[in-house]
Amino acid sequence: MPLTANLDLLTPEFALAGLAFLVFAADLVLPEGRKHWLGWLSVAGLLALIAVSVIMLWGVEETLYNGLLAVDDFSLWFKVLFMVIGVFIILSSMDFVSERLEHQGEFYGIVLFSVLGMNVMAQSRELLTAYIALELLSFSLYVLAAYARDNAKSNESGLKYIIIGAFSSAILLYGVSMVYGVLGVTKFEAIAAGLAAIPDTGAVSPSLWVGVALILVGLGFKVAAVPFHMWAPDVYEGAPYPITAYLSIGSKAAAFALVLRLAAEGFVPVGDRWEQWQLILAVLAAVTMLVGNLVALAQRNLKRLMAYSSIGHSGFILAGVAALSLDSNLPSNGVMLYLVGYSATNFVVFGGLISFFNMTGKEMMSDLAGLGGTQPFLAASIAIGMFSLAGLPIFAGFAIKFYLFTAVADEGFLWLAGLAVFASLVSLYYYLQVVRQMYIEPAEGEPAYGHGYGYEHVDAEHGEQGAGHNESGEGDEPAPARRYGAAQFETHPALGRRPSVTVIAVLGAGLLAVFWIGVYPSPLLDTIEAASKAILS
Amino acid sequence: MVDLVWFQLLSAALFVIGLYGVLARRSAVLILMSIELMLNAVNINLIAAAAHMEGFGSFSRFDGQLIAIFIITVAAAEVGLALAIVLRMYRNRSTVNVDEIDLMKW
Amino acid sequence: MLFQDVVFWLLTVVAVGSALGVVLIRDLFRAALLLVAVFVAVGGYFVLLNAEFLAVVQVLIYAGAISVLIIFAVMLTRDVQQGNPPNRLQIPAVALAALLLAALVTVAVDTQWSFLPEGERQSVELVQTAAVSDISPETLEQAGAAGESAAQGVGLADLLIGRFVLPFEAVSVLLLAALIGALALVRPRPAPQDARASGAESASESAGAGAAGSEAD
Repeated sequence: MPLTANLDLLTPEFALAGLAFLVFAADLVLPEGRKHWLGWLSVAGLLALIAVSVIMLWGVEETLYNGLLAVDDFSLWFKVLFMVIGVFIILSSMDFVSERLEHQGEFYGIVLFSVLGMNVMAQSRELLTAYIALELLSFSLYVLAAYARDNAKSNESGLKYIIIGAFSSAILLYGVSMVYGVLGVTKFEAIAAGLAAIPDTGAVSPSLWVGVALILVGLGFKVAAVPFHMWAPDVYEGAPYPITAYLSIGSKAAAFALVLRLAAEGFVPVGDRWEQWQLILAVLAAVTMLVGNLVALAQRNLKRLMAYSSIGHSGFILAGVAALSLDSNLPSNGVMLYLVGYSATNFVVFGGLISFFNMTGKEMMSDLAGLGGTQPFLAASIAIGMFSLAGLPIFAGFAIKFYLFTAVADEGFLWLAGLAVFASLVSLYYYLQVVRQMYIEPAEGEPAYGHGYGYEHVDAEHGEQGAGHNESGEGDEPAPARRYGAAQFETHPALGRRPSVTVIAVLGAGLLAVFWIGVYPSPLLDTIEAASKAILS
Repeated sequence: MVDLVWFQLLSAALFVIGLYGVLARRSAVLILMSIELMLNAVNINLIAAAAHMEGFGSFSRFDGQLIAIFIITVAAAEVGLALAIVLRMYRNRSTVNVDEIDLMKW
Repeated sequence: MLFQDVVFWLLTVVAVGSALGVVLIRDLFRAALLLVAVFVAVGGYFVLLNAEFLAVVQVLIYAGAISVLIIFAVMLTRDVQQGNPPNRLQIPAVALAALLLAALVTVAVDTQWSFLPEGERQSVELVQTAAVSDISPETLEQAGAAGESAAQGVGLADLLIGRFVLPFEAVSVLLLAALIGALALVRPRPAPQDARASGAESASESAGAGAAGSEAD
């Protein structure tokens, strides 16, 4: 069979690359004031590609290029997830990009390239292909993290990210070379065959184990599992805000898609030997969830807080990976459900935080004080997102955690599930801190003794300026100084603005998803079940 | 041909030297150079394995060489991109020493 | 075989010695030159291992392009004067490196490099060449003959634009992404304000972009 026989199955990937080229080309001809059209073009293209992928590839089960690439329900499922993530990230970054960054066209094009990298990652069944796709994603992210060119923090974030990324790639590759040296193969299922073929009595080749261990370390860096997590907070903090969101949602989901397929096709079928690895992964997961959530308690910067929170969530997801087995699809279902729920929740949280940042340029937790009064919709969205991240019922966070932890406990890791519940309880504290800041803490400059007296005081102090601003600025807005959190308006007049339609749309869709997953996840679970079957057969 | 084990040891030595360089040096440029050492170790490992195991049926030495080519390509792009970021950093901060790059705690 | 052994040990002295020099020497510029020596020595190993094409690629790209880029960076950031000081992680770094070295050496010496019995090796190969997709004794046996002939006489170029054409294409997208990214990061903003500095910068950056781009073909 010629290698080009099934080439049409890759239409979404080719089209995505074409879309990125189109964006770059359009960037050359569009005048400076209309560059935000490129964002809309990317979003429209991605939505079209989601439709095309679903229509074309639903239920298809093929491998391409001698098994380098799988086009199955698993890859389709993740492809759709990644493109939805791309749509959300582009939508929520549009205001930010047009106000604060240069080279808008390149920004959207590179985001599209990274989505392409993620798509190939979810499909690859071979170490080299997976590595190249991973690097495509990582390169895009290095650039995006350093994209605020004149901001020293962003440079620093990009530099640290590329150094750590290259370092972890080198470790991963050393592992690959050792596995290749022993088995002579790089395909996931051939690795499984090789591991299974090792005679039980004879000495197990130590190089193979070290190789697999190094691959795990390399991937551990990518998902920010705990001994290898130290880059995450710095990179997250320095990166432009939408890219922080992208790092914590997209790159995490992509790395776990790869880990899931590698584990399910390469290691799980080996039986006994997988059980030894399960224990190591379980310990890694336990350490990750504990350290991530405990260190998060001390954070005051919102981006760092979200970084440690995402490390903690990595721990939960790793617990699901550790529990993978041939007998049951529950752990892998749990991992995928968790990824969707986590992504949807983070859309909401970051959508709100980015919009807040656009208005004020601040990113500390204490800056949120009084937001409940000044921007009720944003504050409510962030609060719901935080509740969901903490795992409270009705929201997505509860459903996904319940499903995943039950699956983990079912596979005999009761202690790990218990630990995960404990870590979730710890996380409740710092998530609620954020909510407390928004609704209970008085805003900066406002006297601590609450509503009644505060207003007169503030009005008296800033009366002149406030009035002057109101007349020159948004005259039709309700006079902001009348509301709770009034002092915020003095320093950040933009807080009086209504959030833009895009922000409302993003938050609305995210909230809808959060409630839907929290209340009625079963249609979603059906698709996840099909995806799980594709890798664990 | 020289025994495979010697190539393994050699590659391990280069890899570890690179690892030390990444962990213990301050200049971002030197860290990049150390990462290149690590990648070279990987390539030696791959090509040595491929050359020594040729002849086991489908075990072609070209598989290993192919992976090495991809690694070289990616490494070249990585250095280019990293140096773009380093230069940017230098223009803004006038330093490339990673422990002076400490707006955020590492 | 003696000749090859001698060459191997000579190259090893050069490679390991220069590599140690790279990470230990204080002068960053000399470190970059020593790095070139390592690259060339590694190219020598490739010749020893019958990978002549790789040896050429190694010398052209590593010793040629990458080291020029690195030397550019060293000069442009005036790192030469600052030298190559160690950081505070000295002792943990040495300890970790020594530990890993010990582990890798033990592993390399302990490993029986062709430990798979011939029959098992065959089955692994059959899976690798996709003669079978699921692993069971029956399917492996059925596919026996098909896999045997599938992978013989495949050259590097055949692999590159045959079985591995997808990574090949992905890597070209990756190079493009790196190129565009590097441009977006260092290209001066449209309205010129610091003409002299930005001119110098774009010259250095186009050198970098050219080197990275030349690998694409």
